[in-house]
This record gives sequence, structure tokens and C-alpha cells, in this order.
Amino acid sequence: MPRPIHLWAFLQGIGHYPSGWRHPGADPAGVFTMDYYARVGRLVEKGRFDAIVFGDQLQSRGVHGRAPEHLAMPTLDPMALLSAIASVTQHVGLVNTLSTTYWSPEGLAERFATMDRISGGRAGWNIVTTAHPDTAPNFGDDELPEKSLRYKMAAQTVAQAQAVWRERNAELGTSPQARPVFVQAGQSADGRDFAASIAEAIFCSAPTMEDGIAFRNDMRARVAAAGRDPDAVKIMPGLSFILADTEAAAIAKDQAILDLADEKLCIEYLSESLVCDLTQFDVNGPIPVEAILAQTILPKADIARVLEKPAAIGLSLGKFAAGYVRTPRGHNVFRGTASQLANMMIQWIEAGACDGFTLQPAYMPGELEIFVEEVVPILQAAGALRTEYPGSTLRETMGLPRWPADMAA
Amino acid sequence: MTRSFILSAGVGDPALAEPATSAQILTAAEAAGVDLLLLGRHDSLPFDPQVIAAWAAPRVSRLGVVPLVSTRIAHPFHVARALSAIDFLSGGLLGWAPVAQGGSAAQLADMVRATRALWDGWDEDCLIIDKEAGRYLDTTKVRPSNYVGTHYSVRGPVNAMRPKQGHPLLVCDAASPFAVPGIDVVIAAEGQAFPAAARRLLRVEPDIDVAAMAARFEAGEIDGLHVDLAHPLAELGRIGESLSALTRGRAAEGTLRERLGLPLTLRNVYEEIA
Ligand SMILES: Cc1cc2nc3c(=O)[nH]c(=O)nc-3n(C[C@H](O)[C@H](O)[C@H](O)COP(=O)(O)O)c2cc1C
Repeated sequence: MPRPIHLWAFLQGIGHYPSGWRHPGADPAGVFTMDYYARVGRLVEKGRFDAIVFGDQLQSRGVHGRAPEHLAMPTLDPMALLSAIASVTQHVGLVNTLSTTYWSPEGLAERFATMDRISGGRAGWNIVTTAHPDTAPNFGDDELPEKSLRYKMAAQTVAQAQAVWRERNAELGTSPQARPVFVQAGQSADGRDFAASIAEAIFCSAPTMEDGIAFRNDMRARVAAAGRDPDAVKIMPGLSFILADTEAAAIAKDQAILDLADEKLCIEYLSESLVCDLTQFDVNGPIPVEAILAQTILPKADIARVLEKPAAIGLSLGKFAAGYVRTPRGHNVFRGTASQLANMMIQWIEAGACDGFTLQPAYMPGELEIFVEEVVPILQAAGALRTEYPGSTLRETMGLPRWPADMAA
Repeated sequence: MTRSFILSAGVGDPALAEPATSAQILTAAEAAGVDLLLLGRHDSLPFDPQVIAAWAAPRVSRLGVVPLVSTRIAHPFHVARALSAIDFLSGGLLGWAPVAQGGSAAQLADMVRATRALWDGWDEDCLIIDKEAGRYLDTTKVRPSNYVGTHYSVRGPVNAMRPKQGHPLLVCDAASPFAVPGIDVVIAAEGQAFPAAARRLLRVEPDIDVAAMAARFEAGEIDGLHVDLAHPLAELGRIGESLSALTRGRAAEGTLRERLGLPLTLRNVYEEIA
């Protein structure tokens, strides 16, 4: 019997590929309707996923005088989407991303306490610290606090939220999970130590199996050093995918989606990612490294590192931008058949590269439908994926202790 | 156009966060012909009303859901986003009732202005979504809000979308009053001053003198009634029956604004911000 695979669906926006919204199987207008989320929620439950995860961003668009015209918008507020999905589903977990930097402990504690009750114990909290500097002015601040300070604030906010939950549980009766399942996504040493101290599941990027093994080993060591059981922390790297009946057809399909990323879209995506206006530059000219570093409000050292190699080999701005949309956010991108994907997933699990996958369909909902119809039955036949849910709460679904130890009176 | 009688009810019971109870209350409120169901009470919020409103969104077909939004924990940026999403998910059946809960009326008004400014960063017709041409958005119709108020400054625009109704229906409870132009509905008890609003609802006890209320509605003195429910299921049944003469035959289709004849007067809002 293979180790069981945990599945999450990361359903931000209209799919993982910046150009995915233009695919015939994508429904970009649907993201403003309940019908779309009811369909997606039921689909994910049919595939016996543990949870739906929505990321969240708190920076605005168009603040530097230029809103992208060719990129689909991030979706609506994740709390609203997940609470509405809770209403039309029974089992699937609902992981909501909320920032510890821009939420008060009382506000987020009340929100999750209510989500846990109304969903029958399916709430999870992806605890993020917010990385985008453009967020600060939306909360009356000039600047984002420095990263290690943000993680210190995060630890404090989590502790204060737990105090609110204890109080609420005493007043109103314990919510089904006592508190949401704690999820973390963050790569730095500070981020990993924070995760080791509290996370029950970790969302990360692992472009190769070796990266996954290294990350998981590192995290298990940190979790053990923090005095916690490494088996009680699930590592769930992102996995984007493009499926077809043959490997060649999948590669062709991938290319067709990438071809939908025209020059303007690529430049806009790179501009968004680097937070600077690249529309002014000649796409056939060199990467304007100096101008980018002068303009960007992101940490300059990080951006310089991203630009170093492509600039050194003399890549044009247009070529660099076209390459950049191919690997959005650095996650593993799989192209092939349903059985190849199922085999790859089982192999990663057996190699100790992860405990499951956070699936990021290239476009939505078409590619997710293919996964549920074709890959899920293969995983189930192999005994790698449940055919029924074991219980009703997210903790039960994820095989986590029913009561979090830190909520003991 | 005949004036439409507005029936509003409020539930503050913590049991509203229990799915089985909440489902029953929503069904009973729809059956009773309630137009606005206020979620939460101005003097206590044992649950997050925005979560309940979102959960209710797929379950309502004509009932307007109106979460109380408290300055105690809310921030305009989070409020603007959450309400925009719930308005879309409910098909345009959302209202909101901002309350101060220990904060000042000035702070409350500031939260309302900031939230509206964030919504107004997007024009109604900004989405193109043309797959063929690859154009998603008309970027000339998106702009920073740059709101600077007495309590909040928020650059914006909101990183979601203008709500389906433009702005969800703005409901003011005279128990936690605030002054801004363009309040859609105000709820006040007998003898309490009504802040300026397009529609005035009288706060009454569940056992209503129906004939007297019908006369006041006909005389144009009030536009409807609001009832705070202590035992929602029982009281909704009774109210629905006793008021059926006033509530029968009203429109069932369209967004809350369309149904209640409360179009968004955008000019008011823009002028206020300008
Ligand atoms: C896979 C992954 C997904 C993330 N998703 C979000 C998100 O949806 N919203 C957000 O504000 N931050 C998100 N983050 C950012 C982290 O919370 C963190 O603030 C950021 O990565 C900086 O910390 P780090 O250097 O420790 O990674 C994500 C990070 C990773 C690695």
C-alpha cells in the first residue's frame, strides 16, 4: 500500500498560467458568479481533495499609473469565496490566507471562529506575513515592516488569536476544530522556523523531486528541533499541470497556452512581478537592469539575483519576459498523460519529497475537471488516494490530531 | 411606481453561526417576505456577520442579507473586498450596516467613506474579458482612490472589483448613527431621530399593530418596519402571516437596489470624495 496522497486545490484567479484565462476551457467571467464556485467546490469534493486554498494579496493594481490590460485580475476576497463554498459542500477543507501584518488578532480570530462553526469544522488558516510593499499604503502606512520583524509580529498575532479562541470556546461552546488548521507558506530561514513552531501543513514550491526532498528533510529536522512530531506536519508543494492523451499532445497543449501569452501580456506579467514599468523599453533591446533596480520597490538584492543570469547571457527583454511566464512562481509544472502524472505523484511521495500536492491547474475550471475525471481514478485504483472522506473536519481529513494540543485548557 | 413596503428583521443569536440553525432562519426569513435580514446586533457581535453573509449568499433568492460591520475590528480595505465578493456571490442581494461599537460616529462615517472610495476606484464597465483580443481590462477605468480621512487613509483601489450593485445597500441603525450622503435605509425606534436616508424603517416589537402600521405606511410617514428577533423561527412565522397584506405581490426579481427602487446615486458619492 503506498503512502496516502493529500490533495489541495490552490484556486487563485483563473488558473496558474498568466495566459490561462484566454484558453477555451477557461471561464474568466465565472469568477464573479456563485455558479462557478459551486461547480468548482463540488468538483474538488468529487476528487476527494483535502482542501481548497485561496491565496491572498492586499496590494492594489494601477497605483503606479499603469494597470495591466492583458492580465486577469486576482479573484475576490477568499473568506467570502470559501464561506460560500462551505454552504454548497460537505467535506472539503477551506484554507483561507490572512495576513498577520495587516489583520488585528481579534478581527482574524472572530473571522476564523465563525468560519469553523458555519463550515462544521473545515477552516484552515494560511498564515502569511505579506511581502508586497504596495500593501502598506492601503493600511495608512508608508512602509512594510522588515521581514524578520514581520515574522515576530506573526508569532505574536497567532498567540493572541489563540487567546481569543480559548475565550470564545469557553463562552460559546467549542467550535468543531477548536481553532483552524495552521498552514504556512514561507521560504526564508525565519519563515521555516516560524513554520516549524506552529504549522500543521506547509505550502511551498519544489520545482524538482530533489528540491522537495531537501525541503521536507530540512523542515522535518526543524519541526523535531522545535519539539514537535514531524509526522504531524504535512508538506504540500505546488504542482501545476497540463494533461492530454499523449505526452506529445500535452507538450503541444502547453505550447498553445504559452502562445496565448503575447508580447504585451509577457511584459505586463514581468512588470507586475518586478514592480516596475517595463512597457517603455524596447523588447528587442537588453534587459534594462539599472532602470529596473532604480524603479522597483521590492528588495533590490532579490531582484538583482533574478536578473543576473539572463542579463549575463545577453537575453533580450522580450525573450526574458516570454521565459518568465513559463514558470510562474517557480512551481513544478508537469506536462503529460494522466497516468504519467499519477505515477509521478506516487513516486514523489515514496521518495519522501512531500506528503501531498497543492494542485494549481493551468487554467480553470477545464484543467481541474480533467484531473478529477482522469487522474483521481488512477490514484484511487493504486490505493494512493481515499475513495471516501474519513470524517467531516479538516483535521480528520488531513489525518491530524483531532484536538490541537495547544488548545488544551 | 407604487411604493414597496420594506420588511426588515435582525438576528443576533450566536446560534446563527451553526449551519443547521442558520439554514432554517434563512428559509423562514425568505418565506416571511423579509427584504433585509440584519446579521448581528449593534451592542454585541458573537460571530463575524460577514462570514455568515457569505455563507448565506448561495441560499437566498430574494432575501437581502445585511451584515453588521463594526469599526471595532473592521478595516475599510478588508471590508471593501469582502462585501464586493459577497455582493457578487449573492447576485446583488447584499446590504451592510456599519456600527461603531465603542468607536465614534466620526470614525464610523470615515470607514463608510473610505470603503466607498475604494469601490469607486473601478468603473462599472471596466472589464472587457475578450479572449480573442487578449484584453482583460480597460485600464483607463481603474484609478487609485487616494482616500485620506480622519481615521483611515487608504490608497486603493480595492484589489477586487466594484460590487455587483455598485455599492451594496447602505443601512444605518439610529442606535449607532453616522452622517454621510446617500444612506439608503435608516432604522429608528419611535421617538428616535431618523438620520437622513432614502427609506425610513420603524423599529417595532414582533407583536405589531398591523392596521396602525399600514396607515402610517400609506400616509408616507414610514417606508416599512424593522423587527429585532429574539426567537427567530417562531417570530418570523408570525410576522410573515400578520404582514402578508402589506408584503404580498412585491417584486421578487433583480438585485436589492432594483427591487427596492434604490438606484445608486453615483454623483453623490463622487462629489463627496472629490
Ligand atoms: C508557495 C508560497 C505561497 C505564498 N502565498 C502567499 C499569499 O497567497 N499571500 C501572501 O501575502 N503571501 C504569500 N506568500 C508569502 C509568504 O507568506 C512570505 O511573506 C513571503 O514568502 C516572504 O517570506 P519568506 O522569505 O520567508 O518566504 C507565499 C509564499 C510561498 C513560498
